[in-house]
Amino acid sequence: MSSLGRNKADWRSWNVAITGMNAQPDNPGPGLAVARCLRHAPEFRGRLIGLGYEVLDPGLYHRAVFDTSYLMPYPSEGLESQLERLLEIHAKEGIDLIIPCLDAELNTFAHNEERFAAAGMRMLLPQLEQLRLRAKDNLGELCSRLGIDTPETVRISDTGFFERCRDEGWSYPLVVKGIFYDAAIVNSPEEAKSAFHRIAAQWGYPVLAQQLVSGYEINLTAIGDGQGNMLGPVMMRKRAVTDKGKAWAGISILDTELEQMGRAILAATQWRGPLEVEALRSNDGRLYLIEVNPRFPAWVYLTHGVGCNLPQLLLRLVAGDHPLVLPQPAPGTLFIRYAEELVTTLEQFESMMIKGVLITPQAAGTV
Amino acid sequence: MSAELANILRELIEKERLSALAVSANGFAFDPRSGQSFTVNHTGVATMELLLANHSIESTVGVLAKQYEMPTDVVLGSVEVFIRQLARYLA
Amino acid sequence: MSQDSEPRRGWEPPYIIPHRYDNSKFGRRIARDNCCHHIDGVDVEYLLSRYGSPLFIASERRLRDNVRRVRNIFERHYQPVIHGWSYKTNYTSAICNILHQEGSWAEVVSAFEYEKARHLGVPGNRIIFNGPNKGRAILERAIHEGARLHIDHIDELELIETIAKEQNKTVPITMRLNFNTGYTDPWNRFGFNLESGQAHSVVTRIKRSTQVRLTGLHSHIGTFILEPRAMSEQVRLMCQFMQEIEADGKCTIDALDIGGGLPSRNALQGIYLPPEQAVPAIDDFGEAVCTALSKGLAQRTAPPPLLFIESGRAVVDDAISLASTVVGTKQLPDGRAAAVLDAGINTMLTALWYHHPVKLTKPKPGNPVDTVLYGPLCMNIDVMRHSVYLPPLAVGDQLVFNPVGAYNNSQWLQFIEYRPPILLIHLDGECSIIREAETLPDLCRHDRLPAHLTSPGHVP
Repeated sequence: MSSLGRNKADWRSWNVAITGMNAQPDNPGPGLAVARCLRHAPEFRGRLIGLGYEVLDPGLYHRAVFDTSYLMPYPSEGLESQLERLLEIHAKEGIDLIIPCLDAELNTFAHNEERFAAAGMRMLLPQLEQLRLRAKDNLGELCSRLGIDTPETVRISDTGFFERCRDEGWSYPLVVKGIFYDAAIVNSPEEAKSAFHRIAAQWGYPVLAQQLVSGYEINLTAIGDGQGNMLGPVMMRKRAVTDKGKAWAGISILDTELEQMGRAILAATQWRGPLEVEALRSNDGRLYLIEVNPRFPAWVYLTHGVGCNLPQLLLRLVAGDHPLVLPQPAPGTLFIRYAEELVTTLEQFESMMIKGVLITPQAAGTV
Repeated sequence: MSAELANILRELIEKERLSALAVSANGFAFDPRSGQSFTVNHTGVATMELLLANHSIESTVGVLAKQYEMPTDVVLGSVEVFIRQLARYLA
Repeated sequence: MSQDSEPRRGWEPPYIIPHRYDNSKFGRRIARDNCCHHIDGVDVEYLLSRYGSPLFIASERRLRDNVRRVRNIFERHYQPVIHGWSYKTNYTSAICNILHQEGSWAEVVSAFEYEKARHLGVPGNRIIFNGPNKGRAILERAIHEGARLHIDHIDELELIETIAKEQNKTVPITMRLNFNTGYTDPWNRFGFNLESGQAHSVVTRIKRSTQVRLTGLHSHIGTFILEPRAMSEQVRLMCQFMQEIEADGKCTIDALDIGGGLPSRNALQGIYLPPEQAVPAIDDFGEAVCTALSKGLAQRTAPPPLLFIESGRAVVDDAISLASTVVGTKQLPDGRAAAVLDAGINTMLTALWYHHPVKLTKPKPGNPVDTVLYGPLCMNIDVMRHSVYLPPLAVGDQLVFNPVGAYNNSQWLQFIEYRPPILLIHLDGECSIIREAETLPDLCRHDRLPAHLTSPGHVP
């Protein structure tokens, strides 16, 4: 892909690589939604490059959204593997910006940030220290520093906790969580142990146990400018969830307390890049912080829907184009997620399996 | 060479299980009956081409041994395993 | 990527593998520069041809650099610091003496380790004697020779008092503590528990004793600790306890021993991210410990206590590699590739808990495939790596595992195979064997044959 004739300073014509192609119906990765925000931003006319980890990640084959897509090594394969593969893709595509969208890969991208920048691939993402501060097993400390409520959470590396926890003032049901992903509400030590083993097998140790707070979930997404400011907050209440607790319908809201919580977190961490604040309003009306995710959420398309397109804002910020006024998102806009089948050919599947890239009309025969 | 192995191969060929397998130059193979896809390495592709061109097992082994400058018994052992794999995945 | 763009390729056994969609070759792709040709400039293949395979290869340079680095990190923030070499991590004599030359004391946990340290010439007053099983005879010797005694349980305390009385001495002792830092699972089987009040009551008991004097506190919160704040909390709790027990003026603590547990760049099973990202720098631990220490000592007027660190793994692990050779290859029924190596968990027992990084000694053609590496034992659990992406392997290919320096040369098994030699690459690049390969006479030395069993009898 020649970059001749492209104005590298103009974000509208950038080649943007986006991860998180795993748009499964019950627990979608955010990458496809981020890409749709850019594809539907009227001014954007650049190329979108999908970066997936597994050959059946649906986003990889979504030709209406992505111009092309590639397979990547898992973050667990290390820094060098990721760097080598992205440099290979960069040589073909001329990537201007990467938007990582998955929790488990953020650490690896943050480690490689300087080397990507040296090759001309930019990112706006939290630094290692910020990732550490918001890590699920550190959130309690951040909250106590900021005077924010959060359910009590402990790190565990064996199942003995689930038996003795009742002596330590815990009560069932409680939540068992993976360090990167996955959470299960459990009602007994037996259920807890089974959830513990399942989660540890996939995401490793430690596993977290969290006291369950009853109430309803509200979420906020925004971008931090790295100087402590929060840009373009959009808030949403989940109206219906999948078996895994992920929203499949939601509605934009305006909760000033949640907004303040977000502002406090961004200010305290000098957050840089996208984030999602997951909170819970308990039955007695208190606001609890549940998680801070260092990336856009899967429901980010709602930000386009309310006129505050955050992925587009991200491009503008990286380009140095700081918009002073952003539209105030109106409460009451709904999203309802739906599943759709993509049809693709055996040739495309073969190409992804063997060469790790989709065949594109422009690139056919050159990869 | 066991007669059993020759039978396995004959069945794969007569029932058109082997010829139905679409194999690309990249080593990507697709079985239209089961919908399963496979990776076949370059020696696997070469072996399948020879078997499909009606070479006997002995003749296939002979050609491969010559082409890759390998002892016949080494190639024979590997080809036997390969034919059993084909039977297992395509039967 | 595609096969047709590659040069003509040599023989490999033909295979057909069904696709699994969660395990593409791109997802598990390894970095290209993934070979270990040399260690300290010495050609690994040459070493294997000269000394045989498998072979442990130790780097004197790396070992000395490591221990200096660890000590400097702590000394930068706090003094005085003493490094106690944890014998159990690797008690090969030459390894121990390199570390003793660097100023490390011996940290031993059994009669054997104590005797070995003395045998190497370490004076008793530079030995830290830990562990839950110190028999009377070795305690008598240790007390006589002035070793630092760390007590694990009350019965041991009583035995020490008895011996002290016999030797007409007042013996300074260190108490091992256990507690919950909130960051790691508490190792509450060693020493005396803080939360339950057990530790306090033992202190009261010691203060009344005329035979022992409490002068040190010790704790070791676990192994392969990945959270610097765990050690910061450890030091905070130890300092708090010290202040409490010193308050009545009846004892003064002159040493705090924070044990070991610092991680190496090895891949602990069950940790998602690779070690380069999951393992914090030792500097972070040093800073966490010393910051907590200066806070904990801020109100204290007595001279600053000696800080003992007993780091074993962080010092020795990456200083030793294990080179081995492929003796056979196979394809498993599920289509995966497998290789049998001449080294298994008999030489690298830690393969049970770690995914040891492994590299070929030279690049090989062919696309990397999911490979299982087996050892030579006739046991199903003898697996060096359950899944690693490597080019198709062939007999004679040589692989280097690193880091392997921690616990393998002490926990290795004499099971059906002779244990291999350990070679040391000196600072000047010269090589010497620091532990010989085992031989038949070595293994038969302890056998005794009663008269009626001196021959296998008549074979019909």
